[in-house]
Formats: sequence, structure tokens, C-alpha cells
Amino acid sequence: MQVFKLCMKIFKKNLPVMTIYFGVFIIISIIMMTNSRPAEQAGFIQSKVSIVVFSNESSPLVDGMKEVLSDVAVFVEMEEDETLIQDSLYFRRIAYVLRVPDGFTEDFLSGKEPKLAKTSVPGSTNGIYIDMRLEQYLNTANLYVRGIPGIDAETLNAYTLEDLDYETPVEMQRADQRFGVEGMMQYYFNYLAYTLMYVVIMGISTIMLVFNDLNIKRRSSCAPISPGKVTLQFYLATLLFSLISWFVLVSLSLVFSRNELAGSNTPGFIINSFVFASSTTSIGFLIGNLVRGREAISAVANVFTLGSCFISGVFVPQAILSDSVLKMASLFPTFWYVSGNSQIAVSADFTESLIIQIGFAVAFFVLALVVGKKKRMAIEN
Amino acid sequence: MILEANNLVKRYGDLVALDHLSLEVKKGEIFGLLGPNGSGKTTAINCILSLIKYDKGDIHVFGRPMAPDAYDLKKDIGVVMQDVAVFNELTVYENVDYFCGLYVPDKQTRKQLVEEAIDFVGLSDYRKFYPKKLSGGLLRRLNIACGIAHKPKLIILDEPTVAVDPQSRNRILEGIVALNRQGATIVYTSHYMEEVEKICSRIMIIDKGRSIAEGTKDDLKKMISLGEKITVEVFGISEEQLEKLENLPHISTVTCEGNLVEIRSHKSKNNLEKVLEFIKSENISFGRIYSELPTLNDVFLEITGKELRD
Repeated sequence: MQVFKLCMKIFKKNLPVMTIYFGVFIIISIIMMTNSRPAEQAGFIQSKVSIVVFSNESSPLVDGMKEVLSDVAVFVEMEEDETLIQDSLYFRRIAYVLRVPDGFTEDFLSGKEPKLAKTSVPGSTNGIYIDMRLEQYLNTANLYVRGIPGIDAETLNAYTLEDLDYETPVEMQRADQRFGVEGMMQYYFNYLAYTLMYVVIMGISTIMLVFNDLNIKRRSSCAPISPGKVTLQFYLATLLFSLISWFVLVSLSLVFSRNELAGSNTPGFIINSFVFASSTTSIGFLIGNLVRGREAISAVANVFTLGSCFISGVFVPQAILSDSVLKMASLFPTFWYVSGNSQIAVSADFTESLIIQIGFAVAFFVLALVVGKKKRMAIEN
Repeated sequence: MILEANNLVKRYGDLVALDHLSLEVKKGEIFGLLGPNGSGKTTAINCILSLIKYDKGDIHVFGRPMAPDAYDLKKDIGVVMQDVAVFNELTVYENVDYFCGLYVPDKQTRKQLVEEAIDFVGLSDYRKFYPKKLSGGLLRRLNIACGIAHKPKLIILDEPTVAVDPQSRNRILEGIVALNRQGATIVYTSHYMEEVEKICSRIMIIDKGRSIAEGTKDDLKKMISLGEKITVEVFGISEEQLEKLENLPHISTVTCEGNLVEIRSHKSKNNLEKVLEFIKSENISFGRIYSELPTLNDVFLEITGKELRD
């Protein structure tokens, strides 16, 4: 087991660097996880606007207007002094001034369109809001005036208020409801994809870089040990490394989400992450066989990990990604891992995601073997 | 016969790297493979070790056919490649231990062998050093220790002194002779004729993948007509006198650069005496005089028409 022991020694030598990776990514994961947690559904509290109404007449129509406005406004008593009104508007003590002209009710009932005098702070959204509410009332009332000729003010006001009382129930559709999001554990396990992928790819590729050195390969080929044995010991060591990385990250996830440990979904998340670790290991083998140079490996690992995580919904929920992006993402195991987590969160069947991830693991591993063999043959010839 | 290669042919596309090369290495000798860069030395070694496939020929080591899976043969072969092949992540001791461990599974035996190898190459004070902390010469010594720690019967060294300082080079060459005295058969490739001339008991000169001469260094020198090279420091010599000197019997060429006159001669018993007599008879004032026997470079030059280091 010389090769196996050597791999372990090299992993050990790289441990400080790996620990830094782990530390940095775990901190980033926690920060991102905390920031990205779904906020509690905040209750909607309607704010009211301070307005002044000056009216020389008191009629059911004017009372009706005030009643409708009372939902969105607070009536402020004020002297009808132009300077005072202007100052109050300027200092935002009031936001809106409504003046009802004399004979407004009579004119309205007779089908004329009497004008209301309005003054508001320029560009104020509150003013627009009051206008909308007022127009809503008057337009509805106007319909009754036209539809029922001779209707009296009291009936008109009653009918109008009754109509405006109708409310259409609105349910807020959450954007990420497409796959369902439940709790902290799913968030942590989603971010685990990034950390695990980077650490495993970097770890495996780094050690492959050492073993793929032509001079080392030649010297090893001179020794009385078959290449098959060397490869087997090498794969065993790298698998052990992936397993340890996975175990550390999953243990941390369980520590961070200890309040949800009792949940029935926990084993699902663990199984899903284990299968994902196997496909990540295969990707590490492939990248290690394809790329030469430590800097190049770091660049490829970064681009591959970040790229696949971005389009697969690790950082951004899959629900808000476009169909074309998701289609592209489905070519990466990360997409199926994140989908699997979403399915696990809502206790749905995630077998399909698992099978596809296993398929990726096998495909990447076979590809890595083929590339490795081609390289070996090129050296021998 | 420890090693026997017959009619080796290796082609890289249109380039013939080995052209029906045959060689024999006897037990206990230091066999030198001398040739300029690109002459096919490393290709020959790679074929002998079954590291690369060859198009034609056969190779026998310890009397048995050599193959990539001939592990029982490989365990008695030690290899020191031209390029340093060690792990930067391991210390000197760990490197030697790892490569020795590929041959010697027993931990106790290995421990002793590793210690001996490190002492042998003079790296005892550096056993905990990482390769990146070693100088070029020390790194080469580590490379050698990794190749010989398991005490092989046949050691193949492919240009182990390239880019090494003179002190380390001498140490390496002395080590190779010592290994040979301990019973190992050595195959040594180099393009440094001085090294090959110094340590090898038998030499094969190769060029363009072909063997052009083979034998002991004396055998090789006998193959050529060139005699010694005489260099005389003179203080005033005319063109006419130089011409007369060149016309002396057995003198082939005379060149003059500054105060130094270089006289090339054909083989003869008393060339130096004749030159001295001429200088005296012409009343030419002279200082130092050197006489050098032909080198392997001269052998190579006469056979191929080019220098070994061209």
C-alpha cells in the first residue's frame, strides 16, 4: 500500500491549505445561508395620509366620500388660511387638501361633472393614492346617477359604499414555491454543493497533478509494481479523501441545523449529498486528467464550481432562473442535487435526481479512465 | 550477459530514433553509452526498460526477455533518469523510502537500505529537507539515492550529471565507481566524453540511433589515425617556419593563435621529439610545451566529421 500511504501523506501535507478552503467556504456558506433565508412573511400595515377637507355643504355624498377616504386618510382640522395650508403642505404636516365646492351634490346628482379642488405636495405618491380612492368613489357613484335617473343622494351613497366594500381575496404567490423551500437545512445542504465540489476537485486534481508528472510516472513504471495496483491504491486514497470531506461538511451541516435534526427529511439530504460527492469525485478525476499545472487546476475548479453552482440554483433559487438556463444546468450534477434537495424538503420522491447523479458519476469516471489511458498510450508510443 | 539488445528499431513518424542498435553489457562492467544530444541514448534506455514500445528487435535482461510486466526482472534494476523524479511534498528520507518501498516491502530491511543510500550519496545532513530546499547538485544526488536504495544488480543512469556543479559531479562519478565495486553492473549514458572516459570500462559511441564504435577507450582511440596534439608556446615564429613545421613527417595540421602553436599529428612514436628538434634548429624561442593524447571527442570527430557537443 505504498501508493495509498503516499497519497495520504500528500493530502496531509496539503491539509493546511484544505483547512483554509474549508474555513473560508464554511464562513461564506453561513453568511450566504443567513442572508438568503426566506424572511418571515411580513404583515401588510396600511399607512394613512394626513389630509384636510374643506366643505361648505354636508350631504350623504360628501359623507360617503369622507368615509371612503377614512380608510386611507386621517382628517386634520385646520383653519382655511392659505398661508397656514401652504406651510403645512411644505412641512409635510398634511399631504393633501380637498375642497368641496358649493352645490357639488346637486350638480353631481343632476349629471353634471362638478370639479373638486385638490392641492397636494408635488410628486407625492400619497396624493395619487388619495386621488385614486376618490375617483373610485365618484366614478362608481356616477354610474348609478346615469343608470338610475333621479336617484337620491342617500341611496346613491349606500349603493356606492356597498359596491366598494367588495374585496377580491389576493393570495401572495412566492417565487420559490416551484420546488418548495423548507428550513435552514436545505439552504445549508444547497451551499454544501459549492464547498464540497471545490474542495474535492482541488484535492483530487492536486494529487493527480503530482502522480501525472511524466518523470514520476516513468520512475514508477520501472518499479516491480503493476500500473493496475498503483491506480487502484490511488483511487482508494482519493475516495477516502472525498468521503472525509463529505463527512466533515455533512457533520457541520447537522451541527448548524441541529434544531431541525429530528425532521424526517434529514436522511434524504444526507443520502443526496453522498451521491453528489461521488459525482464530484468523478469530476475531480476528469479535471485532474485533463488539466496540467496547479494554477490551471485552481482556475478550472473555480470556473466549473462557481459556474455550475450559479446556473444550477445553489446561490439563486431555481424558480427564478429561466428555462433555458435550467436546461443548460441540467447537464451538470449540481442541478440534480439542488432539485433533489428541493424535492426532499417537500417530502417528494427524489429517486430520479439520485439516479441521474449516479449516472453523471459513472459517466465522468469512465471519461476520466479513457482520458487517462489515452495519455498513458501517448507516453508509451 | 546482464543486458542484451538486438537490432532495436524505434521510429517517431519519419524520424528513426534507433536504427538497428545492438548492445551487450557484461556482468560487473561500467558500460558507457556516449553520444551527442539527440543521438538516441535516452530512447535506447527507455526501450530497454520497456517504458516505450519499439518497432523491432528484442531485449534480454539477466538472460530473460524484458517486458513491461517483467516484475521479477525489474526488482533487480535500478534506474536514475535524466530528469529528477522526486516528490516535492516529501522530505529526502520520505522520497528514498517511498521509491525503495516499491521494491522492498519489509519495513525493517527498507529502513536500513534507505539509511545506507542516503549516506552513500552524502545527504545525511539533509534527510529532513524538502527537495525545493536542495541545490541542483544535491537534488541530483537525491535522484540517484531514490534509484539505487534497493541495491539493484543492474543500475541504469541516464545523464545523471546534467547541470550539476563540478563538486557534485565528482561525487556522483565516485559514487558510481563505488557502486560498481560493490558488485553492481552499470549502464551509464552521457554526452560528456570526459566522464565516460574516466569511469567506463567499455564504451559505445552512438550517433543518429546507430552504434558507430564500441570497445575500451584505448580500443576506440586505436581506431583512428590521429596521434597526439602538441601545443607549444613560442615567442616569434614566421609564416615560413610554420609551413616548414607542417611539412614535417606525421604532422597533419599546424595552427597558430597568439603565442600558441597547435600541432596535430598522425600516429607515430617520436612526434614530440621531432617538433622539439625543429624548434631548436630554427632557433625559435619557446616556453611551455604540452602533449595530449587523442580524446573520445577526436574519435567521434574523425568518424562522424562533427564534434560530440555539436
